[in-house]
Formats: sequence, structure tokens, C-alpha cells
Amino acid sequence: MNAPHRAAAAAPLPFYQPLADECEVFEAAWHQQLPLLIKGPTGCGKTRFVAHMAARLGLPLFTVSCHDDLSAADLVGRHLIAAGNTQWCDGPLTRAVRAGGICYLDEVVEARKDTTVVLHPLTDDRRILPIERTGEQLAAPASFMLVVSYNPGYQHVLKTLKPSTRQRFVALAFDFPPPAVELTVLREEGGADEALARRLVALAAQLRRLGGYHLDEAVSTRLLVYAAKLIASGMAARTACRVALVEPLSDEPDTLAALMAVVDTQFGA
Amino acid sequence: MEDLVGSWWDRLVRRAAYPGYPQAAVLLDDVAPQALLFFRAMGGDPGLAIRSAVGTAHGARRRWLARVAGIDTHVELAWRDGQALYLPERIDLYPDAALNRGLYFWLMALAAQPPAQGDWLQSNSEGTARCLATMPGLATLYQRLVAALLPLRNWPANGTGQAAEQAIRHALLQPGTATALPAGSPPPQPVPLWLHPSPPSAAAANQDDGQQPEQGHGDSRDSKARRRYRARRDNPDDRKNGMLLQFRAESIFTWDDYVRVNRHQDEDEPDDGAAAEDMDRLTVSRDGKTRASRLKFDLDLPAAAYDDTPLGDGLLLPEWDYRRERLVADHCRLQPMLPRDASPAPLPDKLQAAARRLRRQFQALSPERSRKSGEASGPDLDLDRIIRFLAEQRSGVAVAEPPLYQAWPPAGRSMACLLLADLSLSTESWLGEAGQVIHVIRDSLLLFAEALAACGDAFGLYGFSSLRRSEVRYLLLKDFGEPYDDAARGRILAIRPGYYTRMGAAIRQSTTILLQQPAQRRLLLIVSDGKPNDLDHYEGRYGVEDTRQAVLEARRAGLIPFCVTVDREAGDYLPHLFGKRGYSVVHDAHRLPQVLTSLYASLTA
Ligand SMILES: Nc1ncnc2c1ncn2[C@@H]1O[C@H](COP(=O)(O)OP(=O)(O)OP(=O)(O)O)[C@@H](O)[C@H]1O
Ligand SMILES: [Mg+2]
Repeated sequence: MNAPHRAAAAAPLPFYQPLADECEVFEAAWHQQLPLLIKGPTGCGKTRFVAHMAARLGLPLFTVSCHDDLSAADLVGRHLIAAGNTQWCDGPLTRAVRAGGICYLDEVVEARKDTTVVLHPLTDDRRILPIERTGEQLAAPASFMLVVSYNPGYQHVLKTLKPSTRQRFVALAFDFPPPAVELTVLREEGGADEALARRLVALAAQLRRLGGYHLDEAVSTRLLVYAAKLIASGMAARTACRVALVEPLSDEPDTLAALMAVVDTQFGA
Repeated sequence: MEDLVGSWWDRLVRRAAYPGYPQAAVLLDDVAPQALLFFRAMGGDPGLAIRSAVGTAHGARRRWLARVAGIDTHVELAWRDGQALYLPERIDLYPDAALNRGLYFWLMALAAQPPAQGDWLQSNSEGTARCLATMPGLATLYQRLVAALLPLRNWPANGTGQAAEQAIRHALLQPGTATALPAGSPPPQPVPLWLHPSPPSAAAANQDDGQQPEQGHGDSRDSKARRRYRARRDNPDDRKNGMLLQFRAESIFTWDDYVRVNRHQDEDEPDDGAAAEDMDRLTVSRDGKTRASRLKFDLDLPAAAYDDTPLGDGLLLPEWDYRRERLVADHCRLQPMLPRDASPAPLPDKLQAAARRLRRQFQALSPERSRKSGEASGPDLDLDRIIRFLAEQRSGVAVAEPPLYQAWPPAGRSMACLLLADLSLSTESWLGEAGQVIHVIRDSLLLFAEALAACGDAFGLYGFSSLRRSEVRYLLLKDFGEPYDDAARGRILAIRPGYYTRMGAAIRQSTTILLQQPAQRRLLLIVSDGKPNDLDHYEGRYGVEDTRQAVLEARRAGLIPFCVTVDREAGDYLPHLFGKRGYSVVHDAHRLPQVLTSLYASLTA
């Protein structure tokens, strides 16, 4: 579970380069007090987007990375013993509700189905969080927003949200940014110069043609940022591409060799 | 002009154009494992196969040019058509193997470019310019390839020849600025860095080779609808026997056309049945004496001697009629069977190494008895929960006593998988010359089973094919209840390709079986190679809709259907059957064994 963090008022906005109208959609959903579901492949900027929007709206962000052992108590809270006495301790969801902030459940499909059910009263028009163990019932303030995300790739067919959970959210589909946007991301995030960013984006376009056929998942923006950072820090481009783009994608020797041949079309010596 | 250049070259290759450096030769076989992936990354049509420039699959070793020319040195050129990308079978142009290898990748990148305008010289020059503009890394390689090529080229003696050579060198050095070849120039020397000016048609290449046209060659992308008419031939002798060809052309196609035209709206059983019956008779009557049993097997009529062993009388299953939008009860008869001639056998030696690797990998997946908290009983106290419980009791809120123990239950995954393999006849043909696909399926099943046995998930393996609605053959390879042992391996080793693909019924039966498994998550994995089809009306829309319906039924019952296919055209219909994320296409069928197991690992991770 990630520690929640409060956006300091003066801190600069986390950099986020919009792909389309997702910022407007987010704001509109927040104004209308609607929960939001973000789906998209790994490393395409979902987490960054939420961090950016939270800062932009001046709201505290409480992030929970879901896993299959996550229980309702992990979200809502539990009693602890302190100084020989029991003390209730809010979970991140409860804290987000009390603070009127954003609660972001990353990879929500990983959570056990019974866990996601505690979200139900919060995500319909009641907007309440009953805390069974203390008998308390919290009404979410207008500024509270629940955001969940997951990766809908075919590898995850066994894990899906129940329709009754799904149908409580406004949903945004993310994908890897178009070249012009990704270029900006690589320059801003990866510290790449224009020429390097161009080559990396061209390489990404080549590698992404292989998604689904030869590779389980297409190369992500995150990995491109890694490669850019390594090259910008002085690593040889071929090496950086190998460690940041090629090796993370596959274990098959033939696939790796072919991917390196593709890298060479951009960074060949 | 193009044709002219092409035929010049065809003559020219017989006169050793380049000496070649055999010790630095790189074979297509060496780069083939990477070629498909690379070509696609370059933007090449993902549907194309990679073949050697003599028109055979890269696996086949035929050195057409070498043999025709009767010399060792030769030039092969690359080109692309609607079916495949053709690459030289070997490249030994340069003394440096790295350059020869680089030339392969250069040719693939060039061939992946969209066709350019102009004559041979201009279009190659244009394509080259485009490659270099978008791929700066290739520019370095290209410069080295050109620099090393120029000294190998001769200066023609006469003036017009020199003008042409001048134009070619200019185009090589300054891509994108080429003008047309000077008119009336003599045959220019081949340019191994460029695509073939007038690619030989597949047929021509084969004729030059002095062999019968490869059946199935060039139409590996055929829809199954056509493939089903291909006869089985695993013996080259059959190929020489013109009868099969004649048979296909005359009887089956005519019958098929006839049926197509006269397709009935309602149950087209009686007439179709009769037509099919006719066909069976035709098969027999046209059949020679000696090959009687083989041909009967080839063409849809089970020859008793080849047939599998039925178990029981068969089960009646419904089928979906999309025109009437309802399930027609008891419409097909599914016959559970055991493969004929199956005797217990160990895993073949050639799979041992892969199996060992998979077993190790999948043992890691197995639920190594991880500690589980919050059990109602168990060997350990769950301290966390006890403290929490006591704390809550103290806080004054009444809470019922929760489960307070820790246990180490086995089988934490609670996963059951039924693998259903399509064994229809088409699985025989689509790998073309490079090996019969049934072998790949067999290996895939064997390795898949090794992997699953290692991770401890419950699994069953079944195969199916069909011969009209009266005979959906459901092969029992490994039942859920039995262990995976040599008896099961023997049955898998004994599978042979069957008839058609009545997929709906097979899926329904698999659903029934899988639903009896007590696991929490139940995966219905279908391995297929093409569209559903059968001899009767089970074709086109009808077959697709019935299959879709069967998949929906499985999903509604709580199973997770997933299809792995090697049909490159699957994108046309599989989303409709299994949903956008319910399938995966394996482009290189040879990799099916690896893909299947890694897919299973990632699906269930
Ligand atoms: N539009 C964007 N603007 C700015 N940075 C971006 C953008 N898209 C991607 N990035 C970069 O990619 C990295 C990965 O993005 P992020 O962590 O948000 O991915 P994610 O979608 O949450 O992935 P996962 O599903 O694996 O958690 C970010 O750290 C950031 O550097
Ligand atoms: Mg994230």
C-alpha cells in the first residue's frame, strides 16, 4: 500500500502531457461527483494523469496499489493496540473520504471481488462509506472522488470487474500517446533532445507493430522514458535500448535478436 | 522495361555475376527466426510469410539458381508479392558475414516500404531514400553495404552500358534522386541491395525448378473454406499423381458451386446430404485400386481401418440456427472416441529438454503451499487477526469471532483448464512444406500437458473434428480424472488430422465437462487453425454463429473461453466469436508449443 501524500499547495504540477480531452473529462466527472475508471496498457501514464489532476484540482491523493491479498480492512481501516488501549486507524479510503480528496485504486482487478464491494455505496448516488467496525457512517464530501484503473490486455481475461462494479464508473480508455505527444513526454520526462526523442518515438512505432503477435504487451511510454534517461545520462544508445526496451519485453533469444535488429535501424552503429 | 530487365537477369545469373565468399555466407535459415518479427516491425504486411527466393519456404533446401546454372556462384534477389516476402536462400556477396547478415535485414526493411513510383531503378532508389529517412541507424549499414558493393561491380565495355551503370551507381550513392534507366541500355548487372525488377511468378519459379507446383504453396493464407478441399498428402508420390488435382478441380468444386447456388433457406439437409453422399461415392468410384484405403481416408469417408475407437453410442447435442434464432435440439451427434493405435509411450526425446525447462518454470507457478490467514481452523494462530479481534472487543463494539487461524492449504490456485484442439484436415495443410501442422499440434499438446502437470492445475485434453452433423468426433486424450502418464502421452502421440470443424458441438461438450470440475476459475482453451466449417450447411455464417453461441453459453455458465489460433486471417472472425480480448493469434505456427504454455502462464498468473 502506498503512503498517501498530500499535494503541497506550492509544489509544481506533476508533468502530464494530455493526449485528448481527458483532463476536461476528469474535471467534469469530479464536478458531477462521479467516480472514474481508467483503463489502459501498462506504463501509458494513468498514474501520472491522476497525480497531475489531483494537484491541478488541489486535492490530496491517496493511492492504493491493489493486490490479491488486499482486504476490505486494508482499505477502510482497523483497530490497533496502542499504549494498552485500542485505537481505530483509518485506511486510505476512509482518509480520502474524510479529507475530501481523491482515492486512486491502481490495478483494481487484482483486488479480491469481496473487497471491491465496499466501494459500492461510495460509488452510487448515496456516496457513503459505512465503517462496520466502528459503527460509523461517513458521507463523502463533494470534493471526494474515487478513481480506479486497470489494464485490459488479453492476459488479464481471467480477472475482470464484476459488471455491477464496472457500471458505477465513468470510464476513460488510455493508450500509448501519439508520436507528437510522446515526443514531448520524452523531452520533458526523459531529458532527451529533439533528435533522440524522434528516434525513440520512431523505434516505439516499430516495436508497437509487434504487440499482440510477438510480444505480450507493446513497449510502454515508461520504458521509453527509461531509455531516454539512460542515453541522456551518457549511456551508449544501443546499450540503453537493450536494457530498457528489449530485455524487458521478452526472454526468447530469437525475439531478443530480432528486437535488437529493429533497434539497429534507429541506433545502429 | 521491367520484364526486360528481369529476363536479362534470369539469363545473367547463369553467368556468375558476383564471385561470392562462401566462407562468409549467411543462410536464410539463420535469420529466419528473426525475420518475421523484424519485417513486421518495419511495417511489412503482417499476413506475409517469409520464403526463400526460389519460391519455397525457407525450410526447404532447394538451390534453384545454383542447380540451374550449374555453378556455385549465383545471385538471388528479394521481392514481395501478395503472399510472401521472398529472400535469397543464402547471401555470400561480401567477405564479411556481418555485412551479408546486414544485407538480409536491409532487404527486409526495403521490402516493407510501400511500393514506390517509377521503373525498377527509380522505385528502388525511392524506397531506399524512404528507409534512410525514417531509420537513421540503417543509414550506417546501408553506406557500408554500398561501399563494399561498388568495387565488386564491373564497368561495362560499351557506352550505353556505362551510362546505365553510372545511373545505378548514382542511385546507390544518392538514393531518392534517380532518373529512369537510359533507354536502350544493355542488361545492367543485378543490384543485390534492391528488390527484383520483375519477380518470377511462383509458378515460373517452380517450373524452373523442374518440379511439380507445390500444392498449397502460395496460398497459405487461404481461408479454410478452400483449404478443406485439399487432400492430405504426406507422401510426395501423391503429388505426382494427377488424379488428386483433377479430382479437386472437377468434382468437389462443382459440387460446392452447385450447393452454393442452390443454398436453401431452411434446413438444407436432404439435398446437401445427398450431394455429399454423391461425393463420397465419387470419391470411391474414382479411386484407384491400390490406394483405395488411403484415398478414402483423404477424402472424407472414414475407412474403417483408419478410424478411431468410438466410446459408447454418442451424445445428441443442440446446434444454433441463426436464421431462426434458436437452438435446434439434438441436432448433432457427438461421438467420444479414443485415438486408434494408441499405446502408452514416453515423451519423445526431442521434447525432453523443452519439457524439463517448462516443468521447472511451471513448478514455480504451483501454489507452493503459501500460508493463508483467516482460516476457521489450522495449525497456527493468526496473531494479526487475534490482536485485531481483541482490540475490537475492547473497543466495545460487538463483533462475532472471526476465523483466527493460519493454514497451509494446498491447491491455492484452484484452476481447471480444458484444452480443446481442432484436429480437422486443414491442420494438415497450412504449414505447407515446412512440416505438417499436426506434428506441431502434437508437440504443443505434449508440452502443454507437461507444464500443467508440473504446476498442479487440473486439466483435460480433448481433440475434435467432424463429418457432418451426424458425426462430431470428440477425441479423449487426457481426461480430468486421470493422471497425465504414458497412456495419455500415447494417445496424444496417436492423433491424426481428421475431417471438418464443427466447433459448436465440441465447445458445448467441453463446457459440460469443464463445468463438472470444482475449481474456482475454469479456462476453456481452444486451439484452432481456422473458421468453423463442415460439409453440410455448417459453413460461413451458420458455422460462425453456432460457434459464437456455444462460446456465449460457456461464458454464461461461468467459464472463461479463450482461443489460440494460427489462422492469420483470424482477425476477421475471431473477435466476433471470442470477443476482442478473447483470442490470440500465433503468427509463426512453429512457435505454438512455446506460445501456448507461456500464454497459459500469463493468463493464469
Ligand atoms: N502523457 C504523459 N505525460 C507525462 N508523462 C507521461 C505521459 N505518459 C506517460 N508518461 C511517463 O510514463 C511513465 C509511466 O506512466 P504511469 O506510471 O502513469 O503509467 P501507468 O499507466 O500508471 O502504468 P501501470 O499500469 O503499469 O501502473 C510516467 O512516469 C511518465 O514518465
Ligand atoms: Mg500505474
